[in-house]
Order: sequence, then C-alpha cells, then structure tokens
Amino acid sequence: MEGMTYLAVGYFGMLVAIALWTYTVVQRSRRLEDRLAALESVASPPAASDGTNNELDPN
Amino acid sequence: MKLANAVLFTGFAGIGGSLLLAFLWAPSVSIDAFESPAAQRIFYWHVPAAWAAFIAFGALFIGSAGWLFKRSERMWRLHVAGSEAGLATGLMTVWSGCVWGAAEWGTPWDWTDVRLNTFGLLTLLAIYVVLGRNSQPDGVESRDTFAAFGLYGFVLVPLTYIATRIWTIRHPGPVVGTDDGGSINSDMGLVLLVSALSFTVFIVGHMMASTRLTLLEQRLQALQAETDKVI
Repeated sequence: MEGMTYLAVGYFGMLVAIALWTYTVVQRSRRLEDRLAALESVASPPAASDGTNNELDPN
Repeated sequence: MKLANAVLFTGFAGIGGSLLLAFLWAPSVSIDAFESPAAQRIFYWHVPAAWAAFIAFGALFIGSAGWLFKRSERMWRLHVAGSEAGLATGLMTVWSGCVWGAAEWGTPWDWTDVRLNTFGLLTLLAIYVVLGRNSQPDGVESRDTFAAFGLYGFVLVPLTYIATRIWTIRHPGPVVGTDDGGSINSDMGLVLLVSALSFTVFIVGHMMASTRLTLLEQRLQALQAETDKVI
C-alpha cells in the first residue's frame, strides 16, 4: 500500500504541475490581451475612428 | 483563443481521467516480473508524456525549418510553441522515468543507456532553446541560431525512438507496435491509449495557446514601437 500512496502523491503532484503551467499560459494570454486593448484604445481613440474629432469641435 | 482553451482543458480533463483509470482500474503487474509493481503504473504517465514530447519536437523541427527556409512568422511561432511544449513534456518524461528508475532499478539514471541519454539531450536542447530565446533580444540572427538548434537537434528523435530496438541496455524495450503484437494486456493497452490521446490533445491545445501568445506579444511590440515613434 505504501507504494500506491507514493504513486498517488506523484500523480497528484504532476497533475498540479501541468495545471499550473496551463494556468500561467492562460493568464499571460489574458494580460497581453488587456495590454493590447489598452494600447489600441490610446493609439486610436473611438472619437477619431469615424474620421471626426468631436472633442476638438466646440459645436 | 477560445478554441485553444477548449482543446487544452479537454486534454487536461482527459489526462486526469486516464490517470484515475491507471490508478484504480488498470490491472497490477506480476510481483515476480517487477521489483516495484506499484511504480509500474508511472508507465501510464511516462509513455504518453514521451509521445507528446515527440509531437512537440516534431513541431519544433517544422517551425525551425519553416523559419530558416521560408522566413515565415507563422513558422517562427510554431518553433516557439514546439520548444516550450517540448521542454514541459520532456521534463515530465525525464522526471517520471527517474522516479520509476529509482524504484525499479535502484538508481534514477544510467549513463550507459542510449535511450536515457539521447532523450536527456533532447530535453537539454529544449531548455537551451527556451532559456536562450528568452534571454536574447528578438532578431533575425538569434532566431536563426535557435532555429538551427531546433532543426539539427531533431536527429535525436529517431535516434531515441530506435535506441531500445537496437541497444536494450537498461530501459525496457517497446511494449506496443512490435512484430509480436506487444507485451501488455488489452486493459493496460486501453488505458495507455486513452492517456496517449489525452496527452496529444493537451499538447496540441498548449501549442495552439502558445502560438497565439507569441502572436499577441509580437502585436504588442509592434504597437508599442508605433506609439513610441508618435510620442
């Protein structure tokens, strides 16, 4: 039984390791998407996207 | 990204399920044939992880060749994904093999065994490519260097595959895909198959996610360079 206990701990440890690896990939991707969205919004404000700039137009 | 995540999580669930089957359902091996029959169940992790590593190293080879000969950005992203997936699955294989070796042989590593050493070299190659790429600025020269390693390092894959067919030193010979139909029973073969399929789905999902990640990094760098130019 002792061998099976070690094996269970080993299996569980490896599962946790690949779950952490997967989690870091998904999180890195989310962070990058957020940064890209933020940069894109700075680079092209929505008001200017239709060819007009309402902020500078007093009317 | 949603598709990559779905594939990734399906593979992960499959791995969890197949390891549960390996632990609770797969038959035990004879105590006469093995020093450590319980440790033999590591096989359901070790073999599929090695299989997934070969898929990843195959992707690394194709990506490296695509970058060197076609200068394709898509192929470079495949190189990055293949090297990261190869590193992770290579480490899983080496680690599970060392645990089994320690239990069965009384030593985690045998420096005279060809398969152990060629696979160890493959994993070291993946470590070098991943760490080297992360520590260097991205450029054509550095890409060429790492792609050359990915391309020529692939020769270790067929060498590792045939190693136990030619030189059986310490590592056991093949148990499936042999001329005599293999040496494992049908229940063991089924669990091994489910586990191998799960690892395949998982590693394909990982490479899809990793490819997308590299694409996002490249877009971010381009956008930042553009923004810096305007400022």
